[in-house]
Amino acid sequence: MSAFRRARKGGARASFPPLEASLLRNLSRQLIELLRDDGRRGQETGDSLESLFDFDEPVATPEDPVLARLLPAAYEDDEKAAEFRRFTEHGLRDSKVVQATTVIESLERGGLAEGELPLPPDSSGIEDTQLEDAADVEVDLDADDVQAWLRCLTDLRLALAERLEITEEDQSAFDQVDEDDPKAGMYAVYGWLGYLQETLVDAIR
Amino acid sequence: MGLVSAAPSPVEVERPESEEVVLPDLPWITIVWNDPVNLMSYVAYVFQSYFGYRRSKAEKLMMQVHQEGKAVVSNGSREEMERDVQAMHGYGLWATLQKADT
Repeated sequence: MSAFRRARKGGARASFPPLEASLLRNLSRQLIELLRDDGRRGQETGDSLESLFDFDEPVATPEDPVLARLLPAAYEDDEKAAEFRRFTEHGLRDSKVVQATTVIESLERGGLAEGELPLPPDSSGIEDTQLEDAADVEVDLDADDVQAWLRCLTDLRLALAERLEITEEDQSAFDQVDEDDPKAGMYAVYGWLGYLQETLVDAIR
Repeated sequence: MGLVSAAPSPVEVERPESEEVVLPDLPWITIVWNDPVNLMSYVAYVFQSYFGYRRSKAEKLMMQVHQEGKAVVSNGSREEMERDVQAMHGYGLWATLQKADT
């Protein structure tokens, strides 16, 4: 399994098999789409002053549970939370999009071919010899990239956990997931992202 | 917080001391809440790198979040706490601010 290791000046490196790199890019793209999907109203004008007083600015916690977790309320009091959200949510969304974009760029800089690669729906789906023969993707992060990766890996894990309805820290539930369960693949990805993040934290501490 | 079974990161657990880690002597506080996803090592790293806390203090706070469900991680003016909460959300931690006496 790919793992990060320490590099110079607070950076980190890892080698990814092309399929893993492709999976990570796909997840990052999905995250970007989700973050951009709503909450973009009133942003086309580019007039920051106008958008500051735009009544379409977000005030309520997003209905999508994933977005609600990625963009949580800052106050328990609804009114205060709404006011805070109105002034901060766009910035938080944008920074998360930038971080996910950085992850994608790191992967492509490391040799991941641009464009779509087929995702393996299951183990029998890996038949693309082109992918199998492709060289590993060598990800080389500087200190700034590391920050983007740490945060994006967190966002991806939070998103997957919400979709998988993970409410317990105990991971023994994973072991009980049947291999035929459609969620089994997602559990595996969730575990993999956690391992990857753990190695990244270790690499910079 | 989540533990990665493939790569456990043992944390030096000190016995909880009776003294409070952060004295909320200023009117507003930032609280970080436990969640089942964020890794213990990552949460401690965030406290260390963002707040500039010593590793021992960062890990003590992290353990407090983990064991008690929440911890006061900073205190100060409302504006400062809003900044801290915004930063915690940027890291993917679940944080809120409130008046210290509520």
